[in-house]
Amino acid sequence: MALINAENLTKHYGIVHAVDNLSLQVEEDSIMGLIGPNGAGKTTTIKMILGVLKPDDGLIKVFGENPWDNVNLRAKIGVVYEKAFFPPHQKTVSYLERVCRIYGVPESRAKEVLALVNLGEASDRQIKALSAGMLQKFAVAHALIHKPKLVIADEMTANLDPIARSDLLDLVLKLHEQENVTLLLSSHILPELSRVCDSVAIINRGKVWAHGKLEELYEKFSAKTVRISTDQPEKLAELVKALPYVENITADSRGISVKVSEGKEDNLYEDTPKLARKGQVKILGIESGSTSLEELYRQVIAQEGETQA
Amino acid sequence: MKKGRPFLEILASAAYEDYRFPILEIFAFLFALGQFAFSNLNVASSLRSEELMIYWLVSSAMGLPLFIFLILIFKNIAYGLGGDLEKGTIQTYLSYPLSRKKILTAKLLSAIGIAVILFFGIQTVALVVQVPALILPNIGLILLLYAANFAYVLLITSIILLFALLIKKGGVALIVGIAVYFAIGIATSIVLLFASLSGSAMFLQAVALLNPATALSAHYGYIPGNIGWNPSLTEVTYYVGANYFITAILFFIAYRYFSRRLSI
Repeated sequence: MALINAENLTKHYGIVHAVDNLSLQVEEDSIMGLIGPNGAGKTTTIKMILGVLKPDDGLIKVFGENPWDNVNLRAKIGVVYEKAFFPPHQKTVSYLERVCRIYGVPESRAKEVLALVNLGEASDRQIKALSAGMLQKFAVAHALIHKPKLVIADEMTANLDPIARSDLLDLVLKLHEQENVTLLLSSHILPELSRVCDSVAIINRGKVWAHGKLEELYEKFSAKTVRISTDQPEKLAELVKALPYVENITADSRGISVKVSEGKEDNLYEDTPKLARKGQVKILGIESGSTSLEELYRQVIAQEGETQA
Repeated sequence: MKKGRPFLEILASAAYEDYRFPILEIFAFLFALGQFAFSNLNVASSLRSEELMIYWLVSSAMGLPLFIFLILIFKNIAYGLGGDLEKGTIQTYLSYPLSRKKILTAKLLSAIGIAVILFFGIQTVALVVQVPALILPNIGLILLLYAANFAYVLLITSIILLFALLIKKGGVALIVGIAVYFAIGIATSIVLLFASLSGSAMFLQAVALLNPATALSAHYGYIPGNIGWNPSLTEVTYYVGANYFITAILFFIAYRYFSRRLSI
Protein backbone atom coordinates (compact mmCIF):
# COMPACT_ATOMS: atom_id res chain seq x y z
CA MET A 1 0.00 0.00 0.00
CA ALA A 2 1.34 3.44 -0.93
CA LEU A 3 1.30 5.86 2.02
CA ILE A 4 2.24 8.71 -0.29
CA ASN A 5 0.90 8.89 -3.79
CA ALA A 6 1.80 11.95 -5.86
CA GLU A 7 0.68 12.17 -9.47
CA ASN A 8 1.79 14.73 -12.03
CA LEU A 9 2.69 17.37 -9.45
CA THR A 10 3.62 20.73 -10.88
CA LYS A 11 4.79 23.83 -9.08
CA HIS A 12 6.09 27.03 -10.68
CA TYR A 13 7.74 30.01 -9.04
CA GLY A 14 7.29 32.63 -11.72
CA ILE A 15 9.06 31.24 -14.75
CA VAL A 16 10.99 28.64 -12.76
CA HIS A 17 9.56 25.12 -12.93
CA ALA A 18 10.47 23.92 -9.44
CA VAL A 19 8.50 20.70 -9.88
CA ASP A 20 7.41 19.57 -13.30
CA ASN A 21 4.87 16.79 -13.71
CA LEU A 22 6.39 14.73 -10.92
CA SER A 23 4.94 11.39 -9.84
CA LEU A 24 6.06 9.47 -6.79
CA GLN A 25 4.87 6.65 -4.54
CA VAL A 26 6.16 5.74 -1.09
CA GLU A 27 5.15 2.28 0.03
CA GLU A 28 4.22 1.49 3.60
CA ASP A 29 7.06 0.16 5.76
CA SER A 30 9.78 1.35 3.38
CA ILE A 31 12.61 3.85 3.63
CA MET A 32 12.63 5.91 0.47
CA GLY A 33 15.37 8.31 -0.47
CA LEU A 34 14.63 11.37 -2.53
CA ILE A 35 17.91 12.10 -4.25
CA GLY A 36 18.89 15.09 -6.25
CA PRO A 37 21.26 18.03 -6.43
CA ASN A 38 20.53 21.35 -4.74
CA GLY A 39 17.63 23.03 -6.54
CA ALA A 40 16.33 19.75 -7.97
CA GLY A 41 12.87 20.25 -6.44
CA LYS A 42 13.16 17.99 -3.39
CA THR A 43 12.09 20.53 -0.78
CA THR A 44 9.23 21.82 -2.93
CA THR A 45 8.02 18.24 -3.41
CA ILE A 46 8.22 17.53 0.31
CA LYS A 47 6.38 20.74 1.18
CA MET A 48 3.58 19.79 -1.20
CA ILE A 49 3.40 16.33 0.37
CA LEU A 50 3.19 17.95 3.80
CA GLY A 51 0.42 20.29 2.68
CA VAL A 52 2.24 23.54 3.40
CA LEU A 53 2.59 24.36 -0.29
CA LYS A 54 -0.20 24.09 -2.83
CA PRO A 55 0.68 22.45 -6.14
CA ASP A 56 -0.26 24.35 -9.29
CA ASP A 57 -1.40 21.07 -10.78
CA GLY A 58 -1.50 17.37 -9.96
CA LEU A 59 -2.80 15.23 -7.15
CA ILE A 60 -1.34 14.22 -3.77
CA LYS A 61 -2.72 11.68 -1.37
CA VAL A 62 -1.06 10.89 1.94
CA PHE A 63 -2.68 8.01 3.82
CA GLY A 64 -5.32 8.36 1.09
CA GLU A 65 -6.15 11.98 2.02
CA ASN A 66 -5.43 15.42 0.62
CA PRO A 67 -2.70 16.88 2.85
CA TRP A 68 -3.63 20.59 2.53
CA ASP A 69 -4.62 21.87 6.01
CA ASN A 70 -5.47 18.30 7.01
CA VAL A 71 -5.43 18.18 10.80
CA ASN A 72 -5.99 14.41 11.11
CA LEU A 73 -3.12 13.68 8.79
CA ARG A 74 -0.68 15.80 10.74
CA ALA A 75 -1.19 13.62 13.79
CA LYS A 76 0.20 10.67 11.80
CA ILE A 77 3.26 12.38 10.35
CA GLY A 78 6.56 13.50 11.85
CA VAL A 79 8.48 16.21 10.03
CA VAL A 80 12.14 17.19 10.08
CA TYR A 81 13.08 20.23 8.03
CA GLU A 82 16.59 21.07 6.87
CA LYS A 83 16.54 24.23 8.94
CA ALA A 84 14.53 23.63 12.05
CA PHE A 85 12.91 26.60 13.78
CA PHE A 86 11.28 26.50 17.15
CA PRO A 87 10.31 29.24 19.60
CA PRO A 88 13.86 30.19 20.61
CA HIS A 89 13.48 31.24 24.24
CA GLN A 90 11.89 28.07 25.59
CA LYS A 91 13.82 25.22 27.17
CA THR A 92 14.14 22.07 25.10
CA VAL A 93 12.32 19.81 27.54
CA SER A 94 9.63 22.43 28.29
CA TYR A 95 8.90 22.89 24.61
CA LEU A 96 8.75 19.15 23.99
CA GLU A 97 6.41 18.76 26.97
CA ARG A 98 4.23 21.40 25.34
CA VAL A 99 4.31 19.35 22.12
CA CYS A 100 3.29 16.29 24.17
CA ARG A 101 0.25 18.23 25.39
CA ILE A 102 -0.49 19.26 21.81
CA TYR A 103 -0.67 15.63 20.74
CA GLY A 104 -2.15 14.35 23.99
CA VAL A 105 0.76 12.03 24.82
CA PRO A 106 2.22 11.72 28.35
CA GLU A 107 4.74 14.46 29.13
CA SER A 108 7.31 11.84 30.10
CA ARG A 109 7.68 11.18 26.36
CA ALA A 110 9.63 14.48 26.10
CA LYS A 111 12.56 13.13 28.09
CA GLU A 112 12.31 9.78 26.31
CA VAL A 113 12.79 11.30 22.86
CA LEU A 114 15.54 13.63 24.07
CA ALA A 115 17.39 10.60 25.40
CA LEU A 116 16.74 8.75 22.13
CA VAL A 117 18.67 11.42 20.19
CA ASN A 118 21.33 11.78 22.90
CA LEU A 119 20.19 15.21 24.00
CA GLY A 120 19.27 14.24 27.55
CA GLU A 121 21.95 16.52 28.98
CA ALA A 122 20.64 19.53 27.04
CA SER A 123 17.12 19.27 28.43
CA ASP A 124 17.45 22.47 30.47
CA ARG A 125 18.98 24.55 27.69
CA GLN A 126 17.08 27.18 25.79
CA ILE A 127 16.44 26.15 22.18
CA LYS A 128 18.41 29.14 20.90
CA ALA A 129 21.48 27.90 22.83
CA LEU A 130 21.66 24.61 20.88
CA SER A 131 24.35 24.15 18.23
CA ALA A 132 23.28 23.46 14.63
CA GLY A 133 23.82 19.74 15.09
CA MET A 134 21.99 19.64 18.41
CA LEU A 135 19.13 21.62 16.93
CA GLN A 136 18.81 19.05 14.15
CA LYS A 137 18.73 16.24 16.70
CA PHE A 138 16.13 18.21 18.63
CA ALA A 139 14.08 18.46 15.44
CA VAL A 140 14.23 14.68 15.10
CA ALA A 141 13.15 14.25 18.73
CA HIS A 142 10.32 16.72 18.09
CA ALA A 143 9.19 14.72 15.05
CA LEU A 144 9.03 11.48 17.04
CA ILE A 145 7.05 12.73 20.05
CA HIS A 146 3.71 11.35 18.87
CA LYS A 147 5.09 8.07 17.47
CA PRO A 148 4.18 8.89 13.87
CA LYS A 149 3.57 6.20 11.25
CA LEU A 150 5.38 8.26 8.63
CA VAL A 151 8.43 10.48 9.05
CA ILE A 152 9.37 12.93 6.31
CA ALA A 153 12.82 14.45 6.60
CA ASP A 154 14.27 17.07 4.30
CA GLU A 155 18.08 17.10 4.30
CA MET A 156 17.97 15.91 7.88
CA THR A 157 21.72 15.43 8.19
CA ALA A 158 22.85 18.52 6.29
CA ASN A 159 24.13 20.40 9.36
CA LEU A 160 25.66 17.48 11.19
CA ASP A 161 29.22 16.27 11.66
CA PRO A 162 30.03 12.75 10.37
CA ILE A 163 29.58 11.05 13.73
CA ALA A 164 26.27 12.76 14.39
CA ARG A 165 25.17 11.82 10.87
CA SER A 166 26.03 8.21 11.42
CA ASP A 167 24.22 8.20 14.79
CA LEU A 168 21.14 9.72 13.23
CA LEU A 169 21.11 7.17 10.42
CA ASP A 170 21.40 4.40 13.00
CA LEU A 171 18.41 5.94 14.71
CA VAL A 172 16.49 5.96 11.43
CA LEU A 173 17.17 2.25 10.96
CA LYS A 174 16.20 1.52 14.56
CA LEU A 175 12.92 3.39 14.17
CA HIS A 176 12.15 1.56 10.98
CA GLU A 177 12.93 -1.86 12.40
CA GLN A 178 11.46 -1.49 15.88
CA GLU A 179 8.48 0.79 15.31
CA ASN A 180 7.68 0.07 11.64
CA VAL A 181 7.99 3.73 10.75
CA THR A 182 7.88 4.52 7.04
CA LEU A 183 10.42 7.16 6.08
CA LEU A 184 10.87 9.54 3.20
CA LEU A 185 14.33 11.08 3.39
CA SER A 186 15.64 13.68 1.02
CA SER A 187 19.33 14.27 0.68
CA HIS A 188 22.07 15.10 -1.75
CA ILE A 189 24.58 13.12 0.30
CA LEU A 190 24.29 9.81 -1.45
CA PRO A 191 26.44 7.36 0.53
CA GLU A 192 24.35 7.86 3.65
CA LEU A 193 21.09 7.27 1.80
CA SER A 194 22.41 4.08 0.26
CA ARG A 195 23.07 2.88 3.80
CA VAL A 196 19.49 3.17 4.95
CA CYS A 197 17.16 3.33 1.96
CA ASP A 198 15.53 0.36 0.31
CA SER A 199 14.16 2.43 -2.56
CA VAL A 200 14.99 5.77 -4.14
CA ALA A 201 13.58 8.40 -6.43
CA ILE A 202 16.16 10.34 -8.38
CA ILE A 203 14.94 13.84 -9.00
CA ASN A 204 16.45 16.59 -11.08
CA ARG A 205 15.02 19.78 -12.54
CA GLY A 206 11.69 19.01 -10.92
CA LYS A 207 11.23 15.59 -12.53
CA VAL A 208 11.67 12.05 -11.25
CA TRP A 209 14.16 10.33 -13.56
CA ALA A 210 14.25 6.97 -11.87
CA HIS A 211 12.14 5.50 -9.13
CA GLY A 212 12.05 2.08 -7.49
CA LYS A 213 13.83 -0.50 -5.36
CA LEU A 214 17.56 0.03 -5.17
CA GLU A 215 18.48 -3.44 -6.47
CA GLU A 216 16.16 -3.05 -9.44
CA LEU A 217 17.64 0.32 -10.30
CA TYR A 218 21.19 -0.97 -10.00
CA GLU A 219 20.30 -3.76 -12.37
CA LYS A 220 18.51 -1.51 -14.82
CA PHE A 221 21.09 1.23 -15.05
CA SER A 222 24.38 -0.52 -14.46
CA ALA A 223 24.13 -3.56 -16.76
CA LYS A 224 25.74 -1.89 -19.75
CA THR A 225 28.11 0.31 -17.79
CA VAL A 226 31.80 -0.20 -17.21
CA ARG A 227 33.73 1.69 -14.57
CA ILE A 228 37.41 2.39 -15.39
CA SER A 229 39.68 3.85 -12.73
CA THR A 230 42.60 5.88 -14.06
CA ASP A 231 45.07 8.64 -13.19
CA GLN A 232 43.97 10.75 -16.21
CA PRO A 233 40.18 10.46 -16.50
CA GLU A 234 39.66 13.25 -19.01
CA LYS A 235 42.35 12.04 -21.40
CA LEU A 236 41.05 8.47 -21.23
CA ALA A 237 37.49 9.71 -21.82
CA GLU A 238 38.69 11.43 -25.00
CA LEU A 239 40.36 8.23 -26.24
CA VAL A 240 37.46 5.92 -25.41
CA LYS A 241 34.88 8.25 -26.91
CA ALA A 242 36.17 7.34 -30.38
CA LEU A 243 35.06 3.69 -30.00
CA PRO A 244 31.94 3.11 -32.14
CA TYR A 245 29.96 1.15 -29.53
CA VAL A 246 30.39 3.73 -26.74
CA GLU A 247 27.08 5.47 -26.03
CA ASN A 248 27.97 7.74 -23.15
CA ILE A 249 30.91 8.65 -20.92
CA THR A 250 30.98 10.47 -17.61
CA ALA A 251 34.29 11.40 -15.99
CA ASP A 252 35.12 12.28 -12.41
CA SER A 253 38.35 12.75 -10.48
CA ARG A 254 38.97 9.03 -10.07
CA GLY A 255 37.95 7.58 -13.40
CA ILE A 256 35.28 7.26 -16.06
CA SER A 257 31.98 5.42 -16.40
CA VAL A 258 31.33 4.17 -19.90
CA LYS A 259 27.96 3.09 -21.22
CA VAL A 260 28.24 0.73 -24.17
CA SER A 261 25.84 -0.84 -26.68
CA GLU A 262 24.21 -4.16 -25.80
CA GLY A 263 26.76 -7.03 -25.76
CA LYS A 264 29.80 -4.81 -26.29
CA GLU A 265 31.22 -4.86 -22.77
CA ASP A 266 33.88 -7.46 -23.69
CA ASN A 267 35.02 -5.29 -26.61
CA LEU A 268 35.56 -2.41 -24.22
CA TYR A 269 37.59 -4.65 -21.92
CA GLU A 270 39.84 -5.52 -24.89
CA ASP A 271 40.09 -2.08 -26.49
CA THR A 272 40.58 0.14 -23.46
CA PRO A 273 44.01 -1.15 -22.37
CA LYS A 274 45.27 -0.78 -25.98
CA LEU A 275 44.04 2.80 -26.19
CA ALA A 276 45.49 3.56 -22.77
CA ARG A 277 48.89 2.23 -23.75
CA LYS A 278 48.84 4.32 -26.91
CA GLY A 279 47.83 7.45 -25.03
CA GLN A 280 50.17 6.71 -22.12
CA VAL A 281 47.34 6.66 -19.63
CA LYS A 282 47.57 4.41 -16.59
CA ILE A 283 44.59 2.09 -15.98
CA LEU A 284 44.06 1.36 -12.30
CA GLY A 285 41.09 -0.97 -12.65
CA ILE A 286 38.11 -1.98 -14.77
CA GLU A 287 34.85 -3.30 -13.38
CA SER A 288 31.42 -3.91 -14.76
CA GLY A 289 28.26 -2.34 -13.42
CA SER A 290 27.57 0.33 -10.84
CA THR A 291 28.62 -0.32 -7.32
CA SER A 292 27.23 2.65 -5.49
CA LEU A 293 24.23 4.91 -5.30
CA GLU A 294 26.50 7.70 -6.42
CA GLU A 295 27.32 5.78 -9.61
CA LEU A 296 23.67 4.99 -10.17
CA TYR A 297 22.87 8.65 -9.76
CA ARG A 298 25.51 9.57 -12.34
CA GLN A 299 24.07 7.09 -14.81
CA VAL A 300 20.54 8.37 -14.39
CA ILE A 301 21.58 11.98 -14.72
CA ALA A 302 23.68 11.10 -17.78
CA GLN A 303 20.68 9.39 -19.34
CA GLU A 304 18.61 12.47 -18.54
CA GLY A 305 21.15 14.53 -20.49
CA GLU A 306 20.80 12.22 -23.48
CA THR A 307 17.01 12.34 -23.29
CA GLN A 308 17.05 16.12 -23.28
CA ALA A 309 19.52 16.25 -26.16
CA MET B 1 -3.72 8.61 23.44
CA LYS B 2 -5.82 11.28 25.18
CA LYS B 3 -7.07 14.38 23.37
CA GLY B 4 -4.45 17.05 22.88
CA ARG B 5 -4.96 20.77 23.27
CA PRO B 6 -3.02 22.25 20.37
CA PHE B 7 -4.83 25.61 20.31
CA LEU B 8 -4.13 26.47 23.94
CA GLU B 9 -0.54 25.28 23.73
CA ILE B 10 0.25 27.30 20.60
CA LEU B 11 -1.42 30.33 22.19
CA ALA B 12 0.67 29.82 25.33
CA SER B 13 3.84 29.35 23.30
CA ALA B 14 3.17 32.50 21.25
CA ALA B 15 2.35 34.51 24.40
CA TYR B 16 5.58 33.30 26.04
CA GLU B 17 7.56 34.65 23.09
CA ASP B 18 5.52 37.88 22.69
CA TYR B 19 5.55 38.96 26.36
CA ARG B 20 8.86 37.81 27.73
CA PHE B 21 9.87 41.31 28.87
CA PRO B 22 6.70 43.28 29.75
CA ILE B 23 8.57 46.60 29.95
CA LEU B 24 6.18 48.45 27.67
CA GLU B 25 3.13 47.27 29.59
CA ILE B 26 4.63 48.23 32.96
CA PHE B 27 5.59 51.64 31.61
CA ALA B 28 2.09 52.18 30.24
CA PHE B 29 0.54 51.19 33.56
CA LEU B 30 2.74 53.60 35.51
CA PHE B 31 2.06 56.35 33.00
CA ALA B 32 -1.69 55.86 33.18
CA LEU B 33 -1.67 55.95 36.98
CA GLY B 34 0.62 58.98 36.99
CA GLN B 35 -1.61 60.87 34.57
CA PHE B 36 -4.66 60.30 36.74
CA ALA B 37 -2.97 60.91 40.05
CA PHE B 38 -1.19 64.17 39.30
CA SER B 39 -2.96 66.19 36.70
CA ASN B 40 -6.04 65.22 34.75
CA LEU B 41 -8.53 64.93 37.53
CA ASN B 42 -7.94 68.57 38.50
CA VAL B 43 -8.52 69.71 34.93
CA ALA B 44 -11.40 67.30 34.44
CA SER B 45 -13.21 68.36 37.60
CA SER B 46 -13.22 71.96 36.36
CA LEU B 47 -15.16 70.97 33.22
CA ARG B 48 -18.81 71.94 32.86
CA SER B 49 -20.42 68.51 32.46
CA GLU B 50 -19.97 64.93 33.57
CA GLU B 51 -19.84 63.79 29.94
CA LEU B 52 -17.03 66.19 29.12
CA MET B 53 -15.20 65.13 32.26
CA ILE B 54 -15.35 61.47 31.20
CA TYR B 55 -14.22 62.38 27.69
CA TRP B 56 -11.29 64.36 29.05
CA LEU B 57 -10.24 61.69 31.55
CA VAL B 58 -10.44 58.77 29.14
CA SER B 59 -8.81 60.60 26.23
CA SER B 60 -5.93 62.08 28.19
CA ALA B 61 -5.21 58.82 30.01
CA MET B 62 -5.11 56.97 26.71
CA GLY B 63 -2.56 59.23 25.00
CA LEU B 64 0.90 57.74 25.54
CA PRO B 65 -0.24 54.30 26.76
CA LEU B 66 -2.19 53.87 23.55
CA PHE B 67 0.93 54.67 21.54
CA ILE B 68 2.99 52.27 23.66
CA PHE B 69 0.47 49.47 23.17
CA LEU B 70 0.23 50.29 19.50
CA ILE B 71 3.99 49.72 19.19
CA LEU B 72 3.65 46.53 21.24
CA ILE B 73 0.87 45.18 19.00
CA PHE B 74 2.73 46.19 15.82
CA LYS B 75 5.85 44.46 17.14
CA ASN B 76 3.89 41.32 18.05
CA ILE B 77 2.24 41.12 14.64
CA ALA B 78 5.33 42.00 12.62
CA TYR B 79 7.85 39.89 14.53
CA GLY B 80 5.52 37.36 16.16
CA LEU B 81 3.82 36.47 12.90
CA GLY B 82 5.90 37.95 10.06
CA GLY B 83 9.11 36.88 11.80
CA ASP B 84 7.75 33.39 12.44
CA LEU B 85 6.82 33.10 8.75
CA GLU B 86 10.26 34.36 7.76
CA LYS B 87 12.18 32.03 10.07
CA GLY B 88 10.00 28.95 9.68
CA THR B 89 8.38 28.66 13.11
CA ILE B 90 4.94 28.75 11.45
CA GLN B 91 6.10 25.79 9.35
CA THR B 92 6.74 23.95 12.62
CA TYR B 93 3.29 24.92 13.93
CA LEU B 94 1.81 23.61 10.68
CA SER B 95 3.09 20.15 11.55
CA TYR B 96 0.76 20.09 14.58
CA PRO B 97 -2.83 18.81 14.43
CA LEU B 98 -4.38 22.27 14.30
CA SER B 99 -6.03 23.98 11.33
CA ARG B 100 -4.46 27.05 9.75
CA LYS B 101 -7.34 29.24 10.93
CA LYS B 102 -6.80 28.20 14.53
CA ILE B 103 -3.05 28.71 14.29
CA LEU B 104 -3.63 32.26 13.05
CA THR B 105 -6.26 32.83 15.74
CA ALA B 106 -3.85 31.64 18.44
CA LYS B 107 -1.12 33.95 17.12
CA LEU B 108 -3.49 36.94 16.89
CA LEU B 109 -4.98 36.31 20.32
CA SER B 110 -1.47 36.42 21.71
CA ALA B 111 -0.34 39.41 19.66
CA ILE B 112 -3.50 41.54 19.95
CA GLY B 113 -5.91 39.94 22.41
CA ILE B 114 -3.59 39.85 25.40
CA ALA B 115 -2.33 43.38 24.66
CA VAL B 116 -5.91 44.68 24.43
CA ILE B 117 -6.89 43.00 27.71
CA LEU B 118 -3.79 44.47 29.41
CA PHE B 119 -4.43 47.91 27.97
CA PHE B 120 -8.09 48.11 28.93
CA GLY B 121 -7.36 46.46 32.27
CA ILE B 122 -4.91 49.27 33.04
CA GLN B 123 -7.29 51.95 31.79
CA THR B 124 -10.25 50.55 33.70
CA VAL B 125 -8.30 50.22 36.95
CA ALA B 126 -7.13 53.83 36.62
CA LEU B 127 -10.69 55.01 35.94
CA VAL B 128 -12.09 53.02 38.88
CA VAL B 129 -9.44 54.48 41.19
CA GLN B 130 -10.16 58.06 40.14
CA VAL B 131 -13.89 58.40 39.43
CA PRO B 132 -15.66 55.22 40.64
CA ALA B 133 -19.05 56.89 40.89
CA LEU B 134 -19.07 58.06 37.26
CA ILE B 135 -18.34 54.74 35.58
CA LEU B 136 -21.66 52.90 35.67
CA PRO B 137 -23.88 55.88 34.77
CA ASN B 138 -21.62 56.62 31.77
CA ILE B 139 -20.66 53.11 30.72
CA GLY B 140 -22.03 53.51 27.18
CA LEU B 141 -20.01 56.68 26.62
CA ILE B 142 -16.86 55.11 28.12
CA LEU B 143 -17.15 52.09 25.84
CA LEU B 144 -17.68 54.37 22.83
CA LEU B 145 -14.58 56.38 23.76
CA TYR B 146 -12.49 53.23 24.10
CA ALA B 147 -13.86 51.80 20.84
CA ALA B 148 -13.26 55.06 18.94
CA ASN B 149 -9.70 55.48 20.18
CA PHE B 150 -8.75 51.86 19.61
CA ALA B 151 -10.30 51.64 16.13
CA TYR B 152 -7.32 53.31 14.48
CA VAL B 153 -4.87 50.90 16.14
CA LEU B 154 -6.79 47.86 14.95
CA LEU B 155 -7.12 49.23 11.43
CA ILE B 156 -3.37 49.71 11.06
CA THR B 157 -2.80 46.35 12.77
CA SER B 158 -4.90 44.67 10.09
CA ILE B 159 -2.81 46.40 7.39
CA ILE B 160 0.42 45.20 9.04
CA LEU B 161 -1.04 41.71 9.30
CA LEU B 162 -1.77 41.63 5.57
CA PHE B 163 1.71 42.92 4.77
CA ALA B 164 3.32 40.40 7.12
CA LEU B 165 1.45 37.55 5.40
CA LEU B 166 2.19 38.81 1.90
CA ILE B 167 5.88 39.60 2.25
CA LYS B 168 6.67 37.14 5.08
CA LYS B 169 9.19 39.52 6.56
CA GLY B 170 8.69 40.87 10.07
CA GLY B 171 11.00 43.90 9.88
CA VAL B 172 9.57 45.23 6.61
CA ALA B 173 5.98 44.74 7.86
CA LEU B 174 6.79 46.77 10.98
CA ILE B 175 8.32 49.59 8.93
CA VAL B 176 5.28 49.64 6.63
CA GLY B 177 2.93 49.74 9.63
CA ILE B 178 4.77 52.60 11.30
CA ALA B 179 4.93 54.46 7.97
CA VAL B 180 1.15 54.04 7.48
CA TYR B 181 0.56 55.18 11.07
CA PHE B 182 2.57 58.38 10.65
CA ALA B 183 1.27 58.98 7.13
CA ILE B 184 -2.33 58.94 8.38
CA GLY B 185 -1.30 61.12 11.35
CA ILE B 186 0.32 63.70 9.06
CA ALA B 187 -2.60 63.57 6.63
CA THR B 188 -4.98 64.14 9.55
CA SER B 189 -3.06 67.26 10.63
CA ILE B 190 -3.10 68.63 7.08
CA VAL B 191 -6.82 67.90 6.73
CA LEU B 192 -7.51 69.57 10.10
CA LEU B 193 -5.63 72.67 9.01
CA PHE B 194 -7.41 72.66 5.66
CA ALA B 195 -10.79 72.19 7.37
CA SER B 196 -10.24 75.03 9.83
CA LEU B 197 -9.08 77.36 7.04
CA SER B 198 -11.72 76.48 4.49
CA GLY B 199 -14.61 75.59 6.77
CA SER B 200 -15.19 72.42 4.76
CA ALA B 201 -15.57 69.22 6.76
CA MET B 202 -15.59 66.78 3.85
CA PHE B 203 -11.97 65.62 4.17
CA LEU B 204 -12.27 65.59 7.94
CA GLN B 205 -15.19 63.18 7.65
CA ALA B 206 -13.04 60.93 5.44
CA VAL B 207 -10.29 61.01 8.07
CA ALA B 208 -12.88 60.18 10.74
CA LEU B 209 -13.59 56.97 8.86
CA LEU B 210 -9.96 55.94 9.36
CA ASN B 211 -9.69 57.39 12.86
CA PRO B 212 -13.11 57.81 14.54
CA ALA B 213 -11.49 59.67 17.47
CA THR B 214 -11.49 62.66 15.08
CA ALA B 215 -15.31 62.53 15.01
CA LEU B 216 -15.31 62.51 18.81
CA SER B 217 -13.03 65.56 18.85
CA ALA B 218 -15.45 67.30 16.47
CA HIS B 219 -18.40 66.33 18.66
CA TYR B 220 -16.81 67.81 21.77
CA GLY B 221 -15.57 70.88 19.91
CA TYR B 222 -11.88 70.15 20.28
CA ILE B 223 -11.10 70.88 16.64
CA PRO B 224 -9.88 74.45 16.17
CA GLY B 225 -11.59 76.83 13.75
CA ASN B 226 -15.13 76.85 12.45
CA ILE B 227 -15.43 73.65 10.44
CA GLY B 228 -19.19 73.49 10.42
CA TRP B 229 -19.28 69.89 11.55
CA ASN B 230 -20.69 68.88 14.88
CA PRO B 231 -21.60 65.19 14.70
CA SER B 232 -23.94 63.74 17.29
CA LEU B 233 -22.81 60.76 19.38
CA THR B 234 -25.01 58.56 17.19
CA GLU B 235 -23.11 59.78 14.11
CA VAL B 236 -19.84 59.14 15.92
CA THR B 237 -21.06 55.60 16.57
CA TYR B 238 -21.63 55.19 12.81
CA TYR B 239 -18.06 56.28 12.11
CA VAL B 240 -16.78 53.83 14.72
CA GLY B 241 -18.92 51.07 13.22
CA ALA B 242 -17.76 51.84 9.68
CA ASN B 243 -14.14 51.78 10.79
CA TYR B 244 -14.54 48.41 12.52
CA PHE B 245 -16.31 47.11 9.41
CA ILE B 246 -13.30 48.05 7.23
CA THR B 247 -10.97 46.46 9.80
CA ALA B 248 -13.10 43.30 9.92
CA ILE B 249 -12.91 43.01 6.11
CA LEU B 250 -9.12 43.30 6.21
CA PHE B 251 -8.90 40.64 8.93
CA PHE B 252 -11.26 38.44 6.92
CA ILE B 253 -9.00 38.76 3.85
CA ALA B 254 -5.99 37.91 6.00
CA TYR B 255 -7.72 34.79 7.35
CA ARG B 256 -8.82 33.65 3.89
CA TYR B 257 -5.34 34.18 2.51
CA PHE B 258 -3.61 32.40 5.39
CA SER B 259 -5.96 29.43 5.44
CA ARG B 260 -6.52 28.92 1.72
CA ARG B 261 -3.62 30.28 -0.25
CA LEU B 262 -0.53 31.03 1.78
CA SER B 263 2.28 28.69 0.78
CA ILE B 264 4.99 28.39 3.38
